[in-house]
Amino acid sequence: MSNVILARMGEVTLKGLNRGSFEIQLKSNLKYRLKRFGNLRIFQSQSRIWIEPKEEDNPNFSDEAAAKDILDAVCQVFGIVSVSFARKFEGDFDSICENAKSLTEYLLSENPDFKTFKIESKRGNKAFPMDSPTICDELGGFILDTFPNLTVKMKNPDFIINVEIREYNYVYSGKKMAHRGLPVGTAGRGMLLLSGGIDSPVAGFMMASRGMPLDAVYFHSYPYTSDLAKQKVIDLAKIVSRFSGRMNLHIVNFTQIQLDMYKNSPQDMLTVTMRRVMLRIAEELARKHDCKCLITGESLGQVASQTLEAMCATNEVVKMPILRPLIGMDKQATCEISRNIGAFETSILPYEDCCTIFVAKHPKTHPHPEDVIEAEKNLDIEDMVEQGVAGTETIEITPF
Amino acid sequence: MIYFDNSATTFPSDRVRAVISDMMKDEYSGNPGSLHKLGVSADKAYGETQAKVAKLLGASSDEIIFTSCATEGANTAIRGFMSRNSRAGRRVISTRTEHKASLECLSLLEKSGYEVVYLPVGRDGKPDLSELEKALTEEKTALFCFTLVNNETGSILPLDQIVSMRNKLSPDTKIYLDAVQALGKMPIDLHKMNVDMCSFSGHKIHSVKGTGVLYVKNGVRIDPLILGGGQQKGMRSGTQSLLLAKAFEAALEEAVETMDDSHGNAAKINEYLRKELAERKAVILSPEDALPYVLNVSFEGFESETMLHCLEIYDIFVSTVSACSSKAKKVSYVLLESGVDRKTAANAVRLSFSRYNSMEEAEQFIQKVDVIYDLYAVRK
Repeated sequence: MSNVILARMGEVTLKGLNRGSFEIQLKSNLKYRLKRFGNLRIFQSQSRIWIEPKEEDNPNFSDEAAAKDILDAVCQVFGIVSVSFARKFEGDFDSICENAKSLTEYLLSENPDFKTFKIESKRGNKAFPMDSPTICDELGGFILDTFPNLTVKMKNPDFIINVEIREYNYVYSGKKMAHRGLPVGTAGRGMLLLSGGIDSPVAGFMMASRGMPLDAVYFHSYPYTSDLAKQKVIDLAKIVSRFSGRMNLHIVNFTQIQLDMYKNSPQDMLTVTMRRVMLRIAEELARKHDCKCLITGESLGQVASQTLEAMCATNEVVKMPILRPLIGMDKQATCEISRNIGAFETSILPYEDCCTIFVAKHPKTHPHPEDVIEAEKNLDIEDMVEQGVAGTETIEITPF
Repeated sequence: MIYFDNSATTFPSDRVRAVISDMMKDEYSGNPGSLHKLGVSADKAYGETQAKVAKLLGASSDEIIFTSCATEGANTAIRGFMSRNSRAGRRVISTRTEHKASLECLSLLEKSGYEVVYLPVGRDGKPDLSELEKALTEEKTALFCFTLVNNETGSILPLDQIVSMRNKLSPDTKIYLDAVQALGKMPIDLHKMNVDMCSFSGHKIHSVKGTGVLYVKNGVRIDPLILGGGQQKGMRSGTQSLLLAKAFEAALEEAVETMDDSHGNAAKINEYLRKELAERKAVILSPEDALPYVLNVSFEGFESETMLHCLEIYDIFVSTVSACSSKAKKVSYVLLESGVDRKTAANAVRLSFSRYNSMEEAEQFIQKVDVIYDLYAVRK
């Protein structure tokens, strides 16, 4: 007997002739994401991907508890819908009973309150002498006899024992839901504007879930923002990279640019002007690093810079599409995703981000296009963009 | 580097480093509780250190407990006293400008049903003594809990007046004093000061982190915070560290030896900076009569943290509020409680000096402040 991970593919299986390229990308992403879990065999059969250790003594596969980290990692790979940790073995019905028994023992030791169960069975190997309903009946009876405190419940049981008869037999309990989506690398690359807040990591996560690999750009304004704020963004990028894979984080030294804007641009227009300069720099960096779009965490009406007029004003200065996956979402929904991907606790750390110090008391929320142009009249925008791109530090971020 | 953050911590002095290096030798590494000769000699040396520290603090040897830090001292004293002396009363008198080590203990007492009276403090950081008198006449008070020198402003407690008020109106009330920022910077004679418990920290006087002392006056009974093998007469179990005790002793001895010169130096630096900064429209928040080692100043146009990072560019190190809580984005509660407005308090930076700082450093500091104003000022 050995233990394996069964990962189910989702949207990828709906692809037509190009399905193969999506599957290859998915397996490559799994291979990268799971490399710290030892020497693994990752192969596909129909709409499933099987992951098993090449060496028998791989500690990540010793039992369900030991497999928690690797299961979490598989769930973070876009393209996977759900995963199960299964016992793989050969043999007749007795061997199925034996494995189902040890699995039930494990589940009861972890969850002493469990009282009800059901059996679900699939028989791919038609040579197996029992059909699925018979397997369910017989195995259910065996479990009832072996564990007299348990009863069968068809709707919402405490646990399910799944049996699959294929080339080998598999026994497992339930499945862990993953993040679905498409394998990262199947779409073009995007440049994420990453601040230290809640929204932008979620925006990055959402675009990565559509197969988009990411670069990220952060505007750092030391000494107005501390190195702790920078570290917070690096930490957030790392969290996003668990889903998006390796990314380059470009840290723009924004201090002098911000001070120039502060001195030479009207206070109430500063937010819009600053956004416009940031997007221009981001677009230049995007071009340089082969990205085809910009991604922001904007949500309509959330703050002064996120009104429709402000967004029109920022859209005007770049040619690349600006993707705003959160545009129609409310804050609560964004926070839920942020919690779900493990970014929330980092996002709410208190360090200032570069937007807050230079914000006017009453920024223009509905800037008129002519005012926007007027506000930039005394700025050497070209020089600012050049200066921003030149003063950029790039850090490679990996999920490990 | 200009290090003006000595109230947060100091660097170990050469003498302390030498003592520590010496104490790492095998011959000093025995357990003072062991019965063999290595243990006996360690125990003897420990006793000698205790006696020396006691003498330097104006106390008796058996009144000195070595701790890991002043926070442990505060917890042991405040919680230990109140739990041991249930018949002494249910009331504690303090202020809201104490260090968090004390305030959190008081908050715990409140949750356990004790009453804590927080005296209002004035702009000079001193508690309102007429309110103290009133509070003392209302109900039996078990404990006073005060700080001799405030860690954020340098404000000095009118201890003599408080002690005589206690002696006159409520002689059974005991006094716990946090003297962390006073140690080595003003004379400490515990018997003369007539307090009952007092905590000190080593790393504020050029010893190392992990060293502290709690004074508990003979006759005052407290429950220990740390139970175990009964070391230090059961008041603080855990194997005694001769090395740390010696490091504390060395730092204290040196601080006492250099106290007068050091005070004069700090006063000169303080006076110069007060004058120069006031000319630059910075608001001095430390009271005039504060201990000169601490200077709290609010820079217009700079949030506290921005000024901290601006100075950091030039290798000048200062604090915003108190270092223990500066990771939480908060305005100093000490300043707000002292009546400083929120905007001024939000721009406050604490400069704190040691005997190693010089007038040249103070002058360089002012030069850099001018540069920072030119380059980074954001006025709203």
